[in-house]
Amino acid sequence: MIAKEMDILRVSARQLLTKRLRVALTVLGIAIGVAAVIGIVALSDGIRYQAIETIKAQSDLTMIEVHPKTTDGVTQLITDTKVASLQATPHVLAVAPAFMDSYSTKKQTFLQVVAVRSDEIDKVLNLKYSAGRPFASGAPEVVFGADLKDKLQRNEGIRIGDVFTALVRDYDENGMPVDRQVPLTVSGALGDRDDQFDRYVLIDMTTASRIRGEQKGYDTVFIRVDDPDAVFSVVDEINAQGLSSQGSFEQIKAVNQFMDAILIVFMIFAVFALFVGGLMITTTMITSVYERTREIGITMAIGASESDVIRLVLYECLLIGIIGGIVGDILGYLFTVVLNTAGKPFIIDRMGPEFSAILGNEIAKISPEMAVAGMVIAVVFSLGAGLYPAVKATHLNPVEAIRGMI
Amino acid sequence: MTSGIETQELSKKFTNGVTALSEISIGIAQGEFIALVGRSGSGKSTLMNILGGLDTPTTGSVFINRKEVDYKNRKNLIDIRRTQVGFVFQQFNLIPSLNALENVAYPLLFNYTRKEERNDRAFELLKMVGLGERADHLPHQMSGGEQQRVAIARAMVANSSIILADEPTGNLDSKTSAEIYALMRKVNKEKNVTFLIVTHERELASYCDRIIELRDGKVIA
Repeated sequence: MIAKEMDILRVSARQLLTKRLRVALTVLGIAIGVAAVIGIVALSDGIRYQAIETIKAQSDLTMIEVHPKTTDGVTQLITDTKVASLQATPHVLAVAPAFMDSYSTKKQTFLQVVAVRSDEIDKVLNLKYSAGRPFASGAPEVVFGADLKDKLQRNEGIRIGDVFTALVRDYDENGMPVDRQVPLTVSGALGDRDDQFDRYVLIDMTTASRIRGEQKGYDTVFIRVDDPDAVFSVVDEINAQGLSSQGSFEQIKAVNQFMDAILIVFMIFAVFALFVGGLMITTTMITSVYERTREIGITMAIGASESDVIRLVLYECLLIGIIGGIVGDILGYLFTVVLNTAGKPFIIDRMGPEFSAILGNEIAKISPEMAVAGMVIAVVFSLGAGLYPAVKATHLNPVEAIRGMI
Repeated sequence: MTSGIETQELSKKFTNGVTALSEISIGIAQGEFIALVGRSGSGKSTLMNILGGLDTPTTGSVFINRKEVDYKNRKNLIDIRRTQVGFVFQQFNLIPSLNALENVAYPLLFNYTRKEERNDRAFELLKMVGLGERADHLPHQMSGGEQQRVAIARAMVANSSIILADEPTGNLDSKTSAEIYALMRKVNKEKNVTFLIVTHERELASYCDRIIELRDGKVIA
C-alpha cells in the first residue's frame, strides 16, 4: 500500500520535472506567502519577547496585589480563611494581608498608610532600609517609603527618629469631619524600590487597629510568587476565588493583547499572499490537467481509478507544497536575518537611542515551531488549491480525452 | 459460450440522436486475431470503447470471458481495464515523462504489483517486442514504430487476455505497419491473446483470421 503511494508520488514528481519553470514560479508564489506569515509572526514574537523581557527586568513581576471585588456597591473584605487559601495556592511563596488607610500631616500632606505585620510584609517585599529600622510590633511607629521620606524631610522637616503628629480623620454623628491627633515616631525609611511603596507609610497592623478601630478583614493582600512564568496561573486562581488582582503582569497582558491585535491585522495581509500562492497552484494544476487531458484519459484506460487520478494530481500539489514550505521557511529566516541586521538600526534611528536597550539583540525571533507551521500551511494550502483540478481530472471522459476532443 | 468476447444485441445511441451501434451480436473466441473494418462513422471505435469498458451501451449485453460486464458498476469497469483488456491506440499514447520500461510497467502501478515485479515483467515484454536495449529511452527519443511496440507491451503487461487496437498502424509507414502486424500476430500466437484490430487498410486486414465489417452501426460481414 505505502509502496504504491510512493510509486504514484514518484510519477507525480516526474510530472513536475517536465515543467520546471512553471513549477518554480508556483513554488515561489506559495513560498512568499509562507515567508510573509513567518516574517510577520517572527517580528511580532520578537517585539513581544523584548517588551516582556523589559517589563520583567524593570518591574516586580512576581508581586501581586489582591483586592476584594465590589459588587452592587458592597465590598466584602478578605477574611483570614481567604488569606490562608491564597497562601495554599501553588507557586505562592508568601502572603501579607493589609488594610489601607489615609492620614495627613499637620501641613496637610496626604499619607497613604498601609497597615501590615512586619514579618509578613518583609517576606513578600524583602524590605531594604536606607535608614533606621522596621517599626516595632504594637509600637506607635511608622516606616516611610523613599520618596515620601525625601518629601516630608524637605517640606516639613520630619526626619528618621522624629515624632510627628498625624491627623486621623473621623466623622461625628452629624457627618462632620473630626481630626484626631496621633503622635507617631518615624522608625525608618525604605530604600528606593521604584514602585508604589516609595510613596507609602508602613504601620504595624495592631497599632493601626488601635488608631482606627478593629477591622473585620483586609482590603489588600500582597502576594509573592516563586516564578515569573507562574504569575498568570496564580492570577487565574485568585480570580477564581472571587478576588481581583493587580500587578506588573497586567503590562504583559496589555503587551500581549496589543501584539495579538497587530498580528491579526498583519496576518490578514499574509493570508492574502498565501491565497494568491494558492490560486497560482490552482491555475498551474488546471493548466496541467488540460495539457495532460489525453494522458489522464490513457491513465484511466489502462486501469487507474478516479481515486488514483486524484492522487496523481494531489501528490503534485503535495510536492509543490513541501518545496514551497521549505523555500518559504528559508525566505522567512532570511527575512528575520535582514530585520535583525539592517532593520534594527533603522528602527532605533527612527524611534530614538533609548530603544536600543529595549530592542535587545533580536527584533524578529524565528522558532522551529514556526518553521513546522510554515510547512504545514504550505502543504494544506497546496492540497486545498489542488482539489478542484484533481476532481475536474476525474470528470474527464476517457474516450474524448484520448481522442483529444476536450 | 466460449472464452473471449461476446455481445448480444448491443446498441449505442448518443444523446444527439445518432445511432452508433444497432443490435450487434458477435462472438470472438479466445486467441482469435480479428480485423474490425468499416468506413468512418460506422461505429468501430464506439464498439471498441464499449468492449473495453471506456463507454457504456444503451441496450444489450457484453460478455468477457463468459462474465457479463456490469456497465453500471464503475469498479467492475475499472477491473476489466486493469486485468482483462489492454488498449493500443493510433497515437501510441505513451506517457511523455516516463521511459519505455516505466511506460510498460505503468498499468501495474494501479494494480498493487511490487516495483521489482513490475519492472521484471515490463523488461521481459520489452525484450519480446525487440526493445530490450531501449528500456531507458523516453518516448520522444523513439521512432513511431518503436513507440507502438512499447504500447503493445504495455497492453500485455497486466496479462490481459484481450487487446483492443484502434488503428494501431494509422500513423506508421507501410514497412513499419507490417512489422507491427507481425509483432501482434506473434503475441497472438505465443500468448494466445485475442486481438480485435480496427483498421482502414484492407491489405493489413487480410493478415487476420477473420474480418468483421460494420456499416451504419450494423455488422454486415
